Amino acid sequence: MRQKTYLDEINTNMYDIKNKDNYEYKAKKGLNKEIIEEISRQKNEVQWMREFRLKALDMYNKLDLPTWGPSLEELDMNEIATYVKPKGNMSNSWEDVPEDIKNTFDALGIPEAEKRSLAGVGAQYDSEVVYHSMKEDLIKQGVIYTDMETALRDYEDIVKEHFMKCVPISDHKFVALHGAVWSGGSFVYVPKGVDVKIPLQSYFRLNSPESGQFEHTLIIVDEGARLHFIEGCSAPKYNKINLHAGCVELFVKKNAYLRYSTIENWSKNMLNLNTKKAIVEENGQIDWVTGSFGSKISMLYPMSILNGKGAKTEFTGISFAGKGQNLDTGFKVVHNAPNTSSVVNSKSISKNGGIATYRSLVRIMPKAKNSKCSVSCESLMLDSYSKSDTIPFNDIRTEEVEFSHEAKIGKISDKTIFYLMSRGLSEEEAKSMIVRGFAYPISKELPVEYAVEMNNLINLELEGSIG
Amino acid sequence: MSNTLLEINNLFANVREKEILKGLNLKINKGEVHVIMGPNGAGKSTLANVILNNPLYEKKEGNILFENENINNLKTDEIAKKGIFMSFQSPEEIPGISVMNFLKYARHNITGEPVKIFAFKEEIKKYMEELNINPKYMDRSLNVGFSGGEKKKNEILQMLVLNPKLAILDETDSGLDVDAIRTVSKGIEMFKNDNNAILIITHGTKILKELKVDYVHVLVDGKIVKTSSGELAQEIEEEGYKKYKKYDIG
Amino acid sequence: MSIIKLNEIPLRTSRNFNINNIKLENIEIPSKIEKFNNFKIINNNTNVKINEIKKDINIKYGVGDILINQIKDNSNINIEIDIEGKNKETIILEFELDDNNRNLVDNINIIAKENSVSNVIIKYVSKDNKFYHNGICNVTAQKSSKISITILNLINDLSDNFYTISNIINDEASVNYKIVDFGGKNSISNYYSNISENAVNNIDTIYLGDKEKIIDINYIAELYGKFSKINMNVEGALNDYAKKNFKGTIDFKRGCSKAVGSENEYCILLSDNVRAKSLPMLLCGEEDVEGEHSAAAGKVDAKQLFYIMSRGFSYNEALKLIIRARFNKVIKKLDEDLKNIIIEEIDRRLK
Repeated sequence: MRQKTYLDEINTNMYDIKNKDNYEYKAKKGLNKEIIEEISRQKNEVQWMREFRLKALDMYNKLDLPTWGPSLEELDMNEIATYVKPKGNMSNSWEDVPEDIKNTFDALGIPEAEKRSLAGVGAQYDSEVVYHSMKEDLIKQGVIYTDMETALRDYEDIVKEHFMKCVPISDHKFVALHGAVWSGGSFVYVPKGVDVKIPLQSYFRLNSPESGQFEHTLIIVDEGARLHFIEGCSAPKYNKINLHAGCVELFVKKNAYLRYSTIENWSKNMLNLNTKKAIVEENGQIDWVTGSFGSKISMLYPMSILNGKGAKTEFTGISFAGKGQNLDTGFKVVHNAPNTSSVVNSKSISKNGGIATYRSLVRIMPKAKNSKCSVSCESLMLDSYSKSDTIPFNDIRTEEVEFSHEAKIGKISDKTIFYLMSRGLSEEEAKSMIVRGFAYPISKELPVEYAVEMNNLINLELEGSIG
Repeated sequence: MSNTLLEINNLFANVREKEILKGLNLKINKGEVHVIMGPNGAGKSTLANVILNNPLYEKKEGNILFENENINNLKTDEIAKKGIFMSFQSPEEIPGISVMNFLKYARHNITGEPVKIFAFKEEIKKYMEELNINPKYMDRSLNVGFSGGEKKKNEILQMLVLNPKLAILDETDSGLDVDAIRTVSKGIEMFKNDNNAILIITHGTKILKELKVDYVHVLVDGKIVKTSSGELAQEIEEEGYKKYKKYDIG
Repeated sequence: MSIIKLNEIPLRTSRNFNINNIKLENIEIPSKIEKFNNFKIINNNTNVKINEIKKDINIKYGVGDILINQIKDNSNINIEIDIEGKNKETIILEFELDDNNRNLVDNINIIAKENSVSNVIIKYVSKDNKFYHNGICNVTAQKSSKISITILNLINDLSDNFYTISNIINDEASVNYKIVDFGGKNSISNYYSNISENAVNNIDTIYLGDKEKIIDINYIAELYGKFSKINMNVEGALNDYAKKNFKGTIDFKRGCSKAVGSENEYCILLSDNVRAKSLPMLLCGEEDVEGEHSAAAGKVDAKQLFYIMSRGFSYNEALKLIIRARFNKVIKKLDEDLKNIIIEEIDRRLK
């Protein structure tokens, strides 16, 4: 049986490979001026970046924890090492990546995917990028795809112009934290008119216990250019809390198109407090495709700011909250120019005591005449120990809009299960088929390997919870 | 070897604590076409659901034997795998699962054999053509946005693909226009052979004009009150069920 | 005078959204509440007893502590309505604010006894001057009772209106509200229902905001019982510089299997300077439920307008007609006099 074979084939432990905590440098746990300065020194950074980090630390100390959403009580910054430099240097060849790190990425299928279906790959291990490579023809067309540290050295002006301009450090406490301790991440620049036909992918792996990952992704898609960027993340499970507070800044210029896909499968001791934002100019488009499976707590709301006339955004997301997970996810959009449009399609599944919350913001500014927004959320509860909340906020400030929001909540209908069983499916198979169908609008947006991975994750999550 | 497919003895069943079937007996042999008719609420659909062991229905007494094996306590999927198929009165919509993938999965699941994709596609195409189903439907989500008639044709398509030993058609003809009824009948003709059997549950008689029927049973108040040859249907169309209601001793 | 925060939502969301509560500036909460005499009670049912006695207030949410405490300490109207049996005649309470009755702080308690059937209208109107209204309507619907309550807020645009509704709806009871929220400079209302097994709660609300009016609606329904039902339907139109916040929460508590909840809000925007916020929350701790909500906002449908205008109506007449049609669900079952008052009010406010 096809689906079953898949199940058997997956090594359920592939995400859980724990390497020895083998680093070149690991910052002291905690957060203070000395630690920040030491990180900057380790990275041999330019002066302005060092000052920026210290300013961000000040901001971090000023801002309060959120008064809403999941409790972050467990997070003790004094127990987190914010910078872990793996052994070895960034390389353009897998051969040169240290053995244990390479083996991890091999198990996750990254080098294999690179050969098969990607135009370029970046791989980050703890705080630093260990591998970066892109196809020759893209280099020739002027596409830049490298790690942030290299970008800061080689393209300092572009970085300085864009770095934390889309997501200012005052946004919230964990953005400020990110500004202070950021390390690694990818930098992409697609020149005017260049169409990158196959995706680029960055993979983020956190191995070190009691540490944090704070990668910074900065993507600029210049006028008329096109890109599909995929981000994957995972970590082995430890008993103590790990923290992920990355930051993604996307600049989509006039007539440009960017698709940003994420399959997130952090281990279930991870606090995932990530911030992602895109600024879209005239007739540009940003599409987000997001699958959230892992982490203990997630607070993640990608945001599109539609600043140019006719700018568009689509958000397609699914989150799957299982035992011990509190996934507070959603989407934010600000319509800030005429004729802009947004389409949101969000799904969530909760089971085994998991909490899934959809939280959103739709803001249509007075300038955004003739804008359109349609939102649809569906939540599936697989048992009564779980929780599923929908908290959508809509703020309309002009008359010339078409705005609609719909949400549904419920369980898999007994009638549907009976129907499928009458066709010979067992109860578990029937439920699993219904859930896969429920997730299909999201998986169909992903490249086929990732769709398969997502279905595998769904099957894994469902195993043992049904029947 | 016995020729009997289905045998139901003295079946009592409840829906939400209300007694619906009150001692029903029925025997179906290979190669036969049976029709169950009866007024609304007589228990026709209940019978189909109870045979497939729908958990919303509660069997109180009696036995259901399929090929001489008691299937009372089998789960719905196990019963389906034994070779009983039910065409639903209102088929469920399953978003995100295409008709093609579903058929492939179901066929594989029932037969336990690998499905050869290319040949299978051709087979489905042929059936769809016969049943007047737009081939585009292959890639659409199962029953989602289908009209009533399209859903019923899709049920017949599933019957042909899964090729059961016994097909129970629960009000498959209801709500269909003459053309659709003809198409559905055509599907049933394609399916029928000496080794399988069909149980048609209906309150109309239109479909019976298109098919050769061996037995007509009248089901009133949870019991079969009369069994006869095909002509009985004609009589019921003209006179209704009044005559049979007096059998109801309550 | 200072800033007061009212109408907190039951589950906070991002502070940046500015929706967790409503902050009002320059609100005068009168400290001295004189006697209020200008009210009428009409009751032609022998099974309904209406007494002017003060009851303790025990509510879960409410508009805000400062206002609830004012009612606890200082109410000038205290009415208890005790309903038994099946009552054909509508019970009407009518309050009119005027220069001699400037501040109304009312505490109304309704007890619908087991199996009773009743229909209550509570109407707030005013003369033209700056007045103040802060009230509570506290309802207990006992087992299998049926009660319909219509609340009309038609006070003038100089006065503030604060209103708290709280319902305990016991097994098999059915409580139906029609709320017309047209009046007030600021109209801040809070609604809470606790719904038990097989009980039904319907709320149909219409609002109309013009000038610089602020409307803040905070409805919370908690479903505790199996097969319980809630249906919230809120329709409104905003003109000029009006601001509206609709916060609706349906909370499916664990154990309320087979409960059904739906929540719909539709807001017609008539000016470019209006501001419409909505937060339709669904909270769910039980698997076996059906919950849905929808919110929509936009201009009047141009095709509809054109169609009506092609039949000889002016733009403004056509607009009023469309809005009246949308409001009809709430208006249609009222008696003629009331209906006319409401239609006149719609026409007046849409100029």
